[in-house]
Amino acid sequence: MLIQRLCTLNDLEQIERLALASPVGITSLPADRERLSAIIEGTEAAMDEGVVFTGDERYFFVLEDVDSGRLVGCSSIISAAGFSQPFHTFRNEMFVHASRELGLHNRIHVLSLCHDLTGHSLLTGFYLDPDWRSLDALRLNACGRLLFAASHPQRFADSIAVEISGISDEEGNSPFWDGVCRHFLDIDYTEVERLGSTLGRSVLAELLPGYPLYVPMLPDSAQEVIGQVRPASQEVYDILMEEGFESENYIDIFDGGPVVQAHTAELTTVRCSQVATVRIGEPLPATGTWLMANERVREFRACLHPLQWAPGAPVVLDPMLAQLLKVTDGDSLRLIGGA
Amino acid sequence: MLVRAARINDLPALLGLAVEAGSGLTSLPASEERLERRLHTVAASFAGKLPVADADYLFVLENEQGQVVGTSGVVAAAGLREPWYSYRRGLTVTASRELNVYRQQPTLFLTNDLTGASALCSLFLSQPHRHSLYGRLLSRARFIHMAEFAGDFAPRIIAEMRGLSDSQGRSPFWDSLGQHFFRMDFARADFLTGTGNKSFIAEMMPKFPLYACFLSEEARAAMGRVHPDSEPALAMLLEEGLQDQGYIDIFDGGVTLEAQFNQVRSIRESQTLLLAIGTPGENAANWLIHNRGRADCRITAGPARVAAGTLVVAADTAECLRLRAGTPVRAVAVVGAPQDVDPYGSVAR
Repeated sequence: MLIQRLCTLNDLEQIERLALASPVGITSLPADRERLSAIIEGTEAAMDEGVVFTGDERYFFVLEDVDSGRLVGCSSIISAAGFSQPFHTFRNEMFVHASRELGLHNRIHVLSLCHDLTGHSLLTGFYLDPDWRSLDALRLNACGRLLFAASHPQRFADSIAVEISGISDEEGNSPFWDGVCRHFLDIDYTEVERLGSTLGRSVLAELLPGYPLYVPMLPDSAQEVIGQVRPASQEVYDILMEEGFESENYIDIFDGGPVVQAHTAELTTVRCSQVATVRIGEPLPATGTWLMANERVREFRACLHPLQWAPGAPVVLDPMLAQLLKVTDGDSLRLIGGA
Repeated sequence: MLVRAARINDLPALLGLAVEAGSGLTSLPASEERLERRLHTVAASFAGKLPVADADYLFVLENEQGQVVGTSGVVAAAGLREPWYSYRRGLTVTASRELNVYRQQPTLFLTNDLTGASALCSLFLSQPHRHSLYGRLLSRARFIHMAEFAGDFAPRIIAEMRGLSDSQGRSPFWDSLGQHFFRMDFARADFLTGTGNKSFIAEMMPKFPLYACFLSEEARAAMGRVHPDSEPALAMLLEEGLQDQGYIDIFDGGVTLEAQFNQVRSIRESQTLLLAIGTPGENAANWLIHNRGRADCRITAGPARVAAGTLVVAADTAECLRLRAGTPVRAVAVVGAPQDVDPYGSVAR
């Protein structure tokens, strides 16, 4: 059984293993012990209960197989993207050029480098061990952290964004990078991702074209991948789309993948999850699978489990599940069904 | 040979030239209605009845038989009624010491920078007359006329040269740029601008600077180039002192040459001299000579020599100018070694 929790320094070795296995493009997961250690320490600091405004705290969640103690996945939320450096994306825009006299009308798709999403909370660092890949594991890894956001809204921004990995080929080249950005910054895509994760992406972004780019003039190979999702990320993308993320407006400056965004409060998991009081006892026969989490910070635990529950009633957990979720009689539990 | 102001009754002859010129000469479209309207403007301009913003001067070249065989023009001040667009070839530099990168990216900026300049246009010489002094006279007659009536023209002179296109009229620059925004072929877009329908440029063209790296290789190669037919005309304008200052045509990428009024050789070096009739001599250089008339301007070219403040010409040259000895004329020596092929015999816009 998989449990989602926040990481601790004890997880460093295992997180490094996940980071090494994660593909290029997950810039938030550097395969570098020192940086990972800094990230984990950052998470430890963020767990301080006193946090009441959003800064550059990062909450690094891990997915643990409770039977073996092995970590099989991870994901993060950064409280405010671009808190210390601007967060760059390309904005999809539509310019309408029309001539009344000639009866001409032309819609032109344009990409504009922007900082619109600076200050949004950012879902990031998603990785799941392929051996543990299932829809449930994906959902827990992707949405468990949203229950955390729902319970602790003061720790996050009103809006939230996710960078979805775009298309790259077997050699790790990105047609978008090669066709668009490389004219301005002649560095391999893989090297760019490495630099982005060490120097910060804004250092690179500041070298990219400042004027809007007219999409019809870009090479076909680059046009074709604008807003396209890497096949390996499609399932996560679908899960996020069901959460109500909007995908039309922004793309990643490096690989052209979609950068989706939403109002935090309107995400399905935030909006529709409910809080119930825990009763330890003999659970009723389950009627569905629920995504559930306690409302703690340092001791945050989330899992997917079959339950029977009706709004207004207490939620009955068997002692073992209650222990895994770090809840006891009378504690509150946030949950959402439908899985 | 004689250059004079175009008149209303030149319409049939000019229409014939416009048809012969075809699509290469956008400022002289083969439209009777348009040409007639232009000739009325031209007449009013030579009569000094139009403000500089509207003045449009068109000259015609008559051969020895009095037939109209060529034309050249100059708009007194471009873009004072409607915007005049050019791309300025600029540069975007991306550099980082930290990353050890440095890149220069040519960038096109849509501008109205050339607004108000006097714009040379409508140069065309009928094929059978592309020899001897015809072309040189036809083109430079404008400069000597401008020198004489400097107050009617702008301090800056420009010449938009015809850019590269293939025998089917396809322009690589257009195909890579304008086509995305107009969804029409180059010939039609070019025709529309030639008919004075220019507002659509502002409405349809990209407003933001364009990075040249996103143009096709052929389009990049066409930037600042001229059509092979216009190479000789380009050479002669360069010889007159016009220069490429980095502006190109927004449709075909052809270079726009420019010069300060007083830097144009035929303007700067022209002088007023008293006409003398005599024998210029066998080795006399060819001179352009202007009778100093405005609406009744007569400009010719022929052998002449300067002697004691007079310009000595043959009797037939004086007759062509309809001047008697002792009358002041404006004159300048023709530069350029005599050639069998007339460099002005080709098309320039």
